[in-house]
Amino acid sequence: MGDLFNFGRFLHNIPILFPYLIENVKILFYATLFGVLLGLLVAAVRMKKPPVLYQLITVYISFMRGTPMLVQLMLIYYGLPLVIDPLFGWNIGRTWEPSIFAYATFVLNQGAFLSSIFISAIEAIPKGQSEAAYSVGLTGLQGFYRIIAPQAVRIALPPFGTDFIGVLHNASLVYVVGVVDLVGRAKAIGSATGHVLEAYLFVAAIFVLCSLAVRIWFGALSKKLDYRNRGEAE
Amino acid sequence: MSISIDAIRESFISAVGYLPQTLALVLIPLLLGIVLGTLVAFARVYKIPVLSQFFSCFIPVYQGIPIVVALLIYQLVYLMKCDDVLKFFHSSKTIADIDNIVVGLFALSLMMLCNVSEIMRGALLSIDKGQNEAAYAVGLSTVQAIRRIMIPQIIPVAIPTMVNSTVGLIKATSIVYAVGIAEVLSGALVPASRRYTFFEGYLAAAFLYWMLTIAVEMAYQFAEKKSGSFRR
Repeated sequence: MGDLFNFGRFLHNIPILFPYLIENVKILFYATLFGVLLGLLVAAVRMKKPPVLYQLITVYISFMRGTPMLVQLMLIYYGLPLVIDPLFGWNIGRTWEPSIFAYATFVLNQGAFLSSIFISAIEAIPKGQSEAAYSVGLTGLQGFYRIIAPQAVRIALPPFGTDFIGVLHNASLVYVVGVVDLVGRAKAIGSATGHVLEAYLFVAAIFVLCSLAVRIWFGALSKKLDYRNRGEAE
Repeated sequence: MSISIDAIRESFISAVGYLPQTLALVLIPLLLGIVLGTLVAFARVYKIPVLSQFFSCFIPVYQGIPIVVALLIYQLVYLMKCDDVLKFFHSSKTIADIDNIVVGLFALSLMMLCNVSEIMRGALLSIDKGQNEAAYAVGLSTVQAIRRIMIPQIIPVAIPTMVNSTVGLIKATSIVYAVGIAEVLSGALVPASRRYTFFEGYLAAAFLYWMLTIAVEMAYQFAEKKSGSFRR
């Protein structure tokens, strides 16, 4: 009990813990990749407003925004087998890796959050621009891809960066469904050796470094894309 | 597919019983966060030496730590060192006499302090510098200028981002369950672990959190209408 922190143990834990960062990065990768696709779909539904589907999407977004990630993870973890097992006669609760449930949760969650970011970015572009695109003979889709989207990406970048860091942080919760990520491995070290503070501190340090790196990276990226002020700044 | 409505109801009723703990975990950090966070924001904007340098390093670093990792660390330190601290103050109490909710309150308050100070700093920087100079020109002191000119203006600017931050706080209170502090989520799981109806338990908790966040959003909408009235 006496020695809470020992620097030797801290160094000893680094090579054990570090490889498990890949599990967090994987969640981040899938959440972003499929989350962006789902977010675009959801954003399209929210802007075109097809009957029924629009109301369903509104409830879905409100739910994803209003309930904690921990609860969503558990709902998918316990709920997906309830839906899929009787439908297909599988037993996914036993056979699927827990990480698949984590990916599914994060993709669904990101679909809701990213769609809001996309919509506010698209709506920030003056309407006159899409009208101008029509007037020079571009179709609606062409106008979106060539005129609206390139500007919207620049506007969406800062909130996207904040959201990205949020996913990075939320990904540390997946240990509750049994995914062995950084936190899960740190807890395992704790129960094996009885000394866990060093492992937690190392995990915290990794998260701090990753968050700062992402923040700086997105800052540089949005400066690079800020073509409007580029000339004046120099 | 078998979902027992009865189990959902039982979990929901059990969860509502723990609402006071969750409300304490929301309101106390929110209040501390608003008061201390605003002070920190002023310290940084008015460049008070030492304090402003310390917080401009501390806040970005602390915001990089996920709340669950912070909670696990505080929980560990609390379990190991609480008795020593109590002995140091010659208190006859032991760790068993202290509710572990203090760990959650501490972690969430610190999180809110960082979030609110960033929000308030952004709101303060959005106010035109000329306003401060104009306040001095008509003979107001710095404190008067802050109280009468700055604060009324930062409130409506800060409210939309405060909504997200408060909703984030409500969602973060569920994470204290991971270190064994009693609140709504653990309340919903009491009947669930007895009857092995975990899905229903989490569903009940989800509904309660959903209602809480919707209530918070409505409250802020009301506050925004009130506080921004001078603009119209």
